[in-house]
Amino acid sequence: MKKKVLSVLLATTVVASLLAGCGSSAAAPAADAAPAADAAPAADAAAPAASSGGATYALVTKSAGNPFMERMASGFQEAVEASGGTVVIQNPEAATPDAQISVVQSLISQGVSSIAVDGNDANALTAVLTEASNAGIKVLSLDSDVAPDTRAVYCNQAGVQQIGETLMEAVYDLTGGEGDWAILSATSQATNQNAWIDAMKKLMESDSKYAKLNLVEVAYGDDEPQKSTDQTQALLQNYPDLKVICAPTTVGIAAAAKVLQDQKSSVKLTGLGLPSEMAEYIGDDDAHSCPYMYLWNPIDLGRLAGYTSIALVDGSITGAAGDKFTAGELGDYTIEEIDGSTQIILGPPFKFDPSNIDEWKSVY
Amino acid sequence: MAGKSGREISAEVKGGIRSKILSWEGALILILVAVNILGVVISPNYNVSNVLREMPRYLAEIFMMFGMGYILVLGDIDISVGALVCLAGTVTVLSSNAGLPFGLAVVVCLLVGLLGGMLNGFIATRFTELPTMIVTLGTQIIFRGIAEVLFETWGNGGGTASMTDTKGLMLLAQKIGPFPIAFFCVIIVGIIMITVLAKTTFGRKLYAIGSNKTAAYYAGIKVEKMRFICYSLLGMLAGLCALFLLTATFGSNTTTGQGFEMEVIAMCVFGGIATTGGKGNLIGGFIAAFIIVCLRIALGQRNINTQVILVIIGLMLIISVLVPSISNSIAARKKRSAA
Amino acid sequence: MKKRSIGQFLSESREASLVIVLAVLLIVVGIINPSFLSFTNIRQIFLNNTLTFLMALGMLCVMLTAGIDISITSTLAFAGMSIGLLQKYNVIHNTFLLFVIGAGIGIICGFLNGIIIAKGHVAPIICTMGFMYIWRGMAYVISNNNWASGMDVAGFSDFGKDGAVGPYIILIVAYAAFFILMKWTRFGRRIYAVGSNTEAARVSGINVDRTLTGVYTIMGLLAGLAGVLSVSIYASAQPNMQYGKEMDVIAACVIGGVAMSGGRGSVAGTFLGALIIGIISKALPMVNIPNFWQNLIKGVIILAVVILNVVTQRTMDRQNLLRREM
Repeated sequence: MKKKVLSVLLATTVVASLLAGCGSSAAAPAADAAPAADAAPAADAAAPAASSGGATYALVTKSAGNPFMERMASGFQEAVEASGGTVVIQNPEAATPDAQISVVQSLISQGVSSIAVDGNDANALTAVLTEASNAGIKVLSLDSDVAPDTRAVYCNQAGVQQIGETLMEAVYDLTGGEGDWAILSATSQATNQNAWIDAMKKLMESDSKYAKLNLVEVAYGDDEPQKSTDQTQALLQNYPDLKVICAPTTVGIAAAAKVLQDQKSSVKLTGLGLPSEMAEYIGDDDAHSCPYMYLWNPIDLGRLAGYTSIALVDGSITGAAGDKFTAGELGDYTIEEIDGSTQIILGPPFKFDPSNIDEWKSVY
Repeated sequence: MAGKSGREISAEVKGGIRSKILSWEGALILILVAVNILGVVISPNYNVSNVLREMPRYLAEIFMMFGMGYILVLGDIDISVGALVCLAGTVTVLSSNAGLPFGLAVVVCLLVGLLGGMLNGFIATRFTELPTMIVTLGTQIIFRGIAEVLFETWGNGGGTASMTDTKGLMLLAQKIGPFPIAFFCVIIVGIIMITVLAKTTFGRKLYAIGSNKTAAYYAGIKVEKMRFICYSLLGMLAGLCALFLLTATFGSNTTTGQGFEMEVIAMCVFGGIATTGGKGNLIGGFIAAFIIVCLRIALGQRNINTQVILVIIGLMLIISVLVPSISNSIAARKKRSAA
Repeated sequence: MKKRSIGQFLSESREASLVIVLAVLLIVVGIINPSFLSFTNIRQIFLNNTLTFLMALGMLCVMLTAGIDISITSTLAFAGMSIGLLQKYNVIHNTFLLFVIGAGIGIICGFLNGIIIAKGHVAPIICTMGFMYIWRGMAYVISNNNWASGMDVAGFSDFGKDGAVGPYIILIVAYAAFFILMKWTRFGRRIYAVGSNTEAARVSGINVDRTLTGVYTIMGLLAGLAGVLSVSIYASAQPNMQYGKEMDVIAACVIGGVAMSGGRGSVAGTFLGALIIGIISKALPMVNIPNFWQNLIKGVIILAVVILNVVTQRTMDRQNLLRREM
């Protein structure tokens, strides 16, 4: 019987030794060497000693396994490390607020100086972020906002209104000013997508320019390739007169682009997508499904959040409207008051078309 | 102690089973100590107050572990509980926002859980040929589906809702000393559930059903009634889990409770409860739950990639069921060669 | 008299009752939206659900031995992610070689499951749950938060593109092979024997451990292939791909009449079960049901069909009993 206890202890030791190897020793059979080697330094980078003197700046992304988040994190890391701070980047195990709560709790324990969070839900993080503020941690949000009174400032990639107008204008242009169009969104609770779609709907009501456009359906692909594919095909079959699909989500737009291109459909696509994901599908001719699309630079967004974190921690800004600061090579920014909350706006969305896609597809 | 190795164990003398079960719990306590030592070694911030502060979100899951333990002892399984947590939380938030006082909202939360559990129990006992995994797979999709419909038709749309009046939840989120209220609730529920399973005829009957359903039936045990009670109980505990989860999130959305069912089952199995039924006890599950929670907190504070933590938990799960089985077969071989 | 014979026909064959469920589904959906019955659409049902169709075959074998495998979509993600990255970093671009590698990874994952379940006497759900966490986590770790995107898998994705024949051929070959395997080979009979009565199978000289290991290895092989196909069909590899879809595969088998207690089930039934699952997910967006009702309806249909299965089985048993008494 003692032997068994011993063997269990042995098992524990195995587990413990795994921690030291940080998983790379468990790299499974046939895992090719190149990416595994890439993974190891990243894991190390994400685990710096919290006790190395200077301030520690934390970034909590939406979830692991998302290239947009990865680029954002790299920009954040770059900005903070350039000014000598320590970076902690945490990717929650799933894109849920529950997972983010655990991660933020852990960061509070570590006593970091600031937490920049990309919220999976607007309100679910309220309690834990308030706790962080009470512990003296500066809280800011980026990409997807959280409840305004729980954070100092929100680094917005572009104003909601601005994105709505840009996308609406693209739809107007691609349809030729009249006809059926549809939206393929992410999940039904995605805060950003819902805000943009609302902005577009309001524009259609208020501006007579868009009177001849007919939004037939808002479909949800849940950011799953398979479901997005099913939904796109259903849109094509249900609305034979459809002219344009607008997909303001990176997973959805790639899935829709593939469906349209494979079927050689005459329906055109626009929206928000990553250039590296969409390079295959962007082109002016009929062989390509997406003439152009938009996005902001996730690296710059991460950088902006990094500089904002530093400014919040060293006290040069408090997050009040009118505060000005310099965000390194990005230039000067002023905190604005928009819809009753304080925001920093990165800039207008960037247009990707056949002329510049080749240069951007390897960047992000 | 888990899996089919149970058969080999039961072939041995009675005293053997007892002492072995005891030793598994002993081993679990040792692992718990080891994990805590590990935590202190790898993270400078791993101390009592931080661990207790990080714990509430995980504590909510432990409520369901007790109920799941009963179901597993029966030889059944329930994979709908994560979705049921979502449904109960959603109904609570929406009804509270519609003006229901907090006290009643708590009752509604538990009631929704209970009703969900009863639905599982009803289908599982009425159509006994159906594997419970499939029944609860169906209800899993249905529960989350109902929650989605509610968000759209009753809430403000958009698949998420947060409670406007959080006073009651704040009260529940309070701490007594360093200990959150949820901690005491887990201990109290735990003591009741452990005692009922280990010391009462009700508990014994569950083991009898799990070991041999037909034999239990002919021994006069009302098998289907017992199963129905256990499903209802687990449902209510899912409601309790939803309630304490709300104290951390103040709201609910369509992803609430995703994957909880597997985490809860993992806690039970790591604690020595066999999915084949009739084996193990809740003390093991209780300790195992804390092992997993402490390990997650410790590794989290070291900023280990969250996915690597899942890999480690997966490995622990397999090792924890393999080790007893291997050492059993070694013992059996030794005995054979000695004889 | 006529009425009775229809009832008899219905209750005598489980597949027949599935065919009727299928027909009802198709007619209802076809009336609401006639374009559902178009050739393109039906072709897409198979293409979009290739993975479910393929993995359901492996799940059939696993469930025939009274086992279950919930690690399949994690294996799928790990294999898919691996071959996606091989292309992203320009290591290999040969389609055939990529299939071999993906299948190889799947076989290794499946073999590990099999050996632990057979030799270690670990309950299948626990062992595969462990690997569910492990392979999914490994997919994330090797991906290093990147996807392999349309650009990276450009040539390779032609294989599974809408309009290409590759996926259909794989499906036809797999179903034909399994039909033969389960019906006419010794290995197939052994699977049924082990599932019906393990002890009897052991006594009659069947190597139970080897059969179990073989079954899980086959499952792994199919999951690995599904991973490669997934990358090809959706032209992207993401670490979270097909998350949670193992339940669709299990549901497909159960709807198709495969008993989770082992020993009962057929390739034809599995095919029909997977087809029903495929039609549900394809039809829901096309019949103008509001988005947020879709999950609820899907769940109700699945539960209704499996309960219908039980009712059919009961009538069947009762009639058999009656016949015996006569």
